[in-house]
Amino acid sequence: MICSEPPTALIETLIREVREADSALSLLQTTRRLAAAAHPEAVPCLVEVLGFNNPGAAVAAVDGLIAIGEPAVEPLLANLDEHNYGARAWAVRALATIGDVRGLGLLEEALGQDIGPSVRRAAAKGLGQLKLSALPGDEAEALRQRCFSALEAAADDGEWVVRYGVIVGLEQLVLPLGTSGPWRQRAGQVLERLASATSEDTEVVRLRARVALERLKQP
Amino acid sequence: MTAAESSLPSGEPICEEEALARLRQSDDQSLQYYAAWWLGRTRSQHPEAVPLLRQALRQRQPRQEGLGVERNAVARNAARALGKLGQSEAVPDLLDCLDDPDHGLREAATRALGDLGATAAVPALCALLASGPLGAGAPVEGSTRLEEPCEALLEALGQIGEASPAVLSTLELFVNHGRPLVHSAACRALLQLTEEERWGQPLLELLQHPQLQIRRSALMDLGAVGWRPALDPICSTLAENSLKLIALRGLVENSRRDLPGQPDTAAVLAAMDDLL
Repeated sequence: MICSEPPTALIETLIREVREADSALSLLQTTRRLAAAAHPEAVPCLVEVLGFNNPGAAVAAVDGLIAIGEPAVEPLLANLDEHNYGARAWAVRALATIGDVRGLGLLEEALGQDIGPSVRRAAAKGLGQLKLSALPGDEAEALRQRCFSALEAAADDGEWVVRYGVIVGLEQLVLPLGTSGPWRQRAGQVLERLASATSEDTEVVRLRARVALERLKQP
Repeated sequence: MTAAESSLPSGEPICEEEALARLRQSDDQSLQYYAAWWLGRTRSQHPEAVPLLRQALRQRQPRQEGLGVERNAVARNAARALGKLGQSEAVPDLLDCLDDPDHGLREAATRALGDLGATAAVPALCALLASGPLGAGAPVEGSTRLEEPCEALLEALGQIGEASPAVLSTLELFVNHGRPLVHSAACRALLQLTEEERWGQPLLELLQHPQLQIRRSALMDLGAVGWRPALDPICSTLAENSLKLIALRGLVENSRRDLPGQPDTAAVLAAMDDLL
């Protein structure tokens, strides 16, 4: 006889196993199982795991939150841990990948103001990944302008990894727009600065900026 | 890391003149301590910076009670700063520190000599390690230290880059040291000097070590060497993305060239994009 548990009961069991995990390894394994279920009821528990200082479990939790997608956005926005920038970085990373435009305000604030470079770099990438094309044209254009301004302002961030994130964010923001219109040229001006040895001292940042400039030249 | 050191970066911003003035006086060691750190951190190019730091390095000072400042704290910071400023005229003063009774000062001077790429230091660094794992590498009773600052010594030899038979045989003495961090420092240096895969494999194995601290250290080692075959293992180890990104930056910047059969620069950049 096949007896399938009601999904909610299964999720409750998986959540209890995460809460009862008593080692780094069991936290990793139980989080992976809960994340694999990709069930909206798992969201609060997965968000909690982001703050446990266990990078493996956090990666699994982020993957789970991304798989859950839209239902994870509000809980992520509402539970940002202001005292733990490790947790914030993972949360911003999840929001960035889900790409829901409700995250825009938070991504702007995180890139401009967060003290954690890991939070700022994740926000920079996220500003290039919002799903703007689903919106009406003028609304998308207004949000695109906000993303661009935030990225442009962060191009002289003191941390190399944030400037690297800005390059990736700019590239992803403007690449889908094609060569007509002003965006590629505007992004190109910022990228030129990040590609130049006179204004950018980190080699890997210059290399990545040159890659982005090449891609922007393609149709 | 001492309490005084870990609180440093939160010190108030000062200007270069102020830093030099603080280093010049010697009544208040904590001011000198901060000034020495500041000059290194800002990579000061002021002509007085190196002479003042060398002078501070030559002063050996007792622990200053009540301020939480350790013995020789100023000298140690001066050594670290001299490593960052890249001026080889500091090498003789740093060499003089290698037989100082203060373990912490020997370690700081060793790292600075490595940063300066001081080939003149190679014989002295090898000499400190010559007694091997049972001498230089033996634990000091009642302390977490070894007799000599082995990790720093091994890493400096790799960094300086002189792949002579004497250096290689000294490094090989420590490959089987029981402490993972010493073991990895020896492998790292040998990998830097020889580019032989047999010295890279042990570092990949350490990326699977149950302790996060050891995995982090292996990440930093692989980045410092720039060993491209480590790309996938770095991406999949259980550690913070921040550290993986630093390691991958090392794979881009410290690798001498793209080699056939190894991930090219584009592949490393793509992996970095994914980790942001």
